[in-house]
Amino acid sequence: MAIFNLKKKEIECKVVFYGPGRCGKTTNLEYIFKSYKKQITGEMVSINTEGDRTLFFDFLPMGLGKIKGCDVRVQLYTVPGQVKYSSTRKLVLRGVDGIVFVADSLEVRREKNMLSLKDLQANLKEYGKSIFKVPLILQYNKRDLADEGIPLMSTEQMEKDLNRQLKVPSFAASAVKGAGVGVTLKACLMETLKSLQREFKWAE
Amino acid sequence: MNISLKIKSLLNEAEVYRSQGLLNEAREKYQAASGLITKIDKLKNKDSLLRAIAEKIQFIDKKSAKTGTAPSSPELSEKGQDLIKNLFGENDLEKAVALAKFGQFERALAEFQALLKNEAYRLEAGKNIIRCKLATASLDDAVAQYQQWFSQDLFSAVQLESIRVYLQPILDKKGFGTPLPVPVGEKDDADGIEFSMPEPEEEMLDITSIGITFTNGTHKGKMVEFDVNFQSGDMLSLIVAKNDRGMIEDLNEGDDIEDVQFYSPIAMFKGTAVVATKTAIQSGPKQGDFCLDLKILTA
Ligand SMILES: Nc1nc2c(ncn2[C@@H]2O[C@H](COP(=O)(O)OP(=O)(O)O)[C@@H](O)[C@H]2O)c(=O)[nH]1
Ligand SMILES: [Mg+2]
Repeated sequence: MAIFNLKKKEIECKVVFYGPGRCGKTTNLEYIFKSYKKQITGEMVSINTEGDRTLFFDFLPMGLGKIKGCDVRVQLYTVPGQVKYSSTRKLVLRGVDGIVFVADSLEVRREKNMLSLKDLQANLKEYGKSIFKVPLILQYNKRDLADEGIPLMSTEQMEKDLNRQLKVPSFAASAVKGAGVGVTLKACLMETLKSLQREFKWAE
Repeated sequence: MNISLKIKSLLNEAEVYRSQGLLNEAREKYQAASGLITKIDKLKNKDSLLRAIAEKIQFIDKKSAKTGTAPSSPELSEKGQDLIKNLFGENDLEKAVALAKFGQFERALAEFQALLKNEAYRLEAGKNIIRCKLATASLDDAVAQYQQWFSQDLFSAVQLESIRVYLQPILDKKGFGTPLPVPVGEKDDADGIEFSMPEPEEEMLDITSIGITFTNGTHKGKMVEFDVNFQSGDMLSLIVAKNDRGMIEDLNEGDDIEDVQFYSPIAMFKGTAVVATKTAIQSGPKQGDFCLDLKILTA
């Protein structure tokens, strides 16, 4: 849940990068950390152990400055993808305000994308939220691998697999190169702030 | 496609997947490449190629064995623990509870100990200390802790009783012999009314999912994880989608299920369960799915 301080005119909201293991969630955050230095308000912390990049989660705090007279701060999180960390995934998702679902464009990960989206839906439901109502953006990551002759799904195929019912904004990306990361984040923040505005009506 | 090109592209794929940590996908491609190479009759360096690929597969197997056995709650750095406290807790008690939820029992324990000094948090801190001891140490440790408090006057009789009521059923379930001493409070025998509070809900851990290892059928030997959709005490309800009905075909009412993994936000434990009811849902959006009620026997 966003923390909203009317007196001080401050909002703090939570955006979670969700998706199957190894789809590039941490890489997205790393790129944001490198490229938006001015907006980053603290260290990027990755809670992990050796050998595995995402046992727990990553965390990155950002400040967007004043938006309609309100100081907006955002906390970015990633969740661990592996099945065995489902309870951590649930914990991190608590009180989420906006979600970027990072899908892996690799053909061999097709089913994992779908399972992870289903898992997101189930977890949101446990917090009384609907995947159809929460601010959500899809990102089709690793597009650069097409140049290396690796079989990728077409974005049309991915739209059909993942976005047929949701009909949310979606972006192709290559998180290692940074392509598409900024637009994804911006779209998600827009959706998130719009939804918070509807809820709190802070901008007069 | 020309066969050598095909092999090349399989190896290329395998290499990319391996570098991204997609170990199963990498293994499959290496195996496919290996299969193609074996079929070619006249290939000069066939043996050395096959050997090289076998080595890669071996390396992958080693690596996936390592990640497979990684602890589900590794000990974190102090910085990581601080972050968890601040992100998932509003007050000092919640912060310590967050540490416990992420499996950081040692530090959680130290913080709960400190919170015992705080009147407002004392009882909850006490219960959580017991909880941490149960998760990390042994029943004996938890009992020893209770005994120690029993002999001191840190807690009021009412508070101590609340801790006893939390711990005793857990001991009973594990068949722990001697019952805990019951604290006697300031007696108010004016009215002689006897009233015992119902046991607090939280005595049973919240279980978010369970893993069942099948002993027969098509899933024999495999562990399948099911989400718990509803829990009331030691009764767990799972909804099994109609597509997965095959999995639970062999489970009938009254059957014991050995070797069940229970996953809860603060701990993971093994136990057995019995199938209390198994019903097909007749109407509504989940029509055709199965509702499976399991009673936890020992945990
Ligand atoms: N080629 C390519 N590799 C990527 C891309 N994004 C992530 N990766 C790689 O995929 C692997 C997993 O990425 P990571 O961010 O750790 O995934 P996470 O499990 O979702 O956090 C790493 O080896 C990354 O370098 C991308 O856009 N293109
Ligand atoms: Mg990661």
